[in-house]
Amino acid sequence: MRKDYEKLFAYLKPAEPPAGLFDRIIIAIKQEQELQHTKKLVFAFVSLLFISLITIPFSWSLLIGQLESSGVLYFVSTGVSDFGTFFGLWQDFSLAILESLPITGIVAFTISIGLALFTLRLFLYRKRLLLKYLIYSFR
Amino acid sequence: MKDCIDEQLISKYLKGDEESLEILIKRYLKPIYSFVRHFVRDNQEAQDIAQEVFVKMWRNLKKFRPEYRFKTWVFTIAKNTCLDWQKKKRTIPFSILDNNKEEFSFSETIEDLRPLPNELLEKQDLTTSLDRVLGTLPAKYRMVLFLRYNDHFTFREIAEILEESINTVKSRHRRGISLVRKLLT
Repeated sequence: MRKDYEKLFAYLKPAEPPAGLFDRIIIAIKQEQELQHTKKLVFAFVSLLFISLITIPFSWSLLIGQLESSGVLYFVSTGVSDFGTFFGLWQDFSLAILESLPITGIVAFTISIGLALFTLRLFLYRKRLLLKYLIYSFR
Repeated sequence: MKDCIDEQLISKYLKGDEESLEILIKRYLKPIYSFVRHFVRDNQEAQDIAQEVFVKMWRNLKKFRPEYRFKTWVFTIAKNTCLDWQKKKRTIPFSILDNNKEEFSFSETIEDLRPLPNELLEKQDLTTSLDRVLGTLPAKYRMVLFLRYNDHFTFREIAEILEESINTVKSRHRRGISLVRKLLT
């Protein structure tokens, strides 16, 4: 029994892969790459959408609240109703308006609007890919 | 680039060199396809499984640890993919010889003075006969014999690929040889 079977198995011919299999594999890997990329994109899109949906109303109410309490609207309405005084004292007016600007509210609202616009841009840029993936996932 | 060892190619691919992956796939396409083809015994299925093996390989390339041999690693993926395919098919290959025993009778351990199967097969189409005989073997023996004689793996490497102990592999090898002999004579 303890004989060398190497000779016998030398007759065992390895199967030749058919022509085109290599290309098929490369295409499959590229598709997989594309799918992974789409998954990342969908994750980013959904996360950004979720964040912007939460932050916009919150930052808006923050901005409105700060605008009302800051008195900036009072300075603006005075400037609009009395142009003569506004142009005569424009440096003081501008300084007063700048001092009373609700910076935190403006920054927060600008960031959330920017985020929403970026999300929209992301959606419009890859809408076909994202819709296809989302429809396929929820089917 | 083609002279690079597998681990170098992986490293290059992970750094962004797409060509390294193509070289790696070309290098292993034939042995992997051949291994899968001998396991599933169907050209179309073998193509699908070989494709799946390389996609899985690509997907897990980042997880590959350089202290392991790439060849062993990729064959382990191939073996697991073949077994998954077998589970999906849920068909048990008919073989009266598959009794799931790893032990041997005393007669199998003593020296055999009968002619070797290759001597018996001299006038036949050796390749076809051997292929047919291997096809009738249970998968566990077929895998060991194929890895040993087609891909020239050591018993230790086969044990790593099949995730079995070295003694089990040696045992399956002896049993497989014994079955081949029985089927050829």
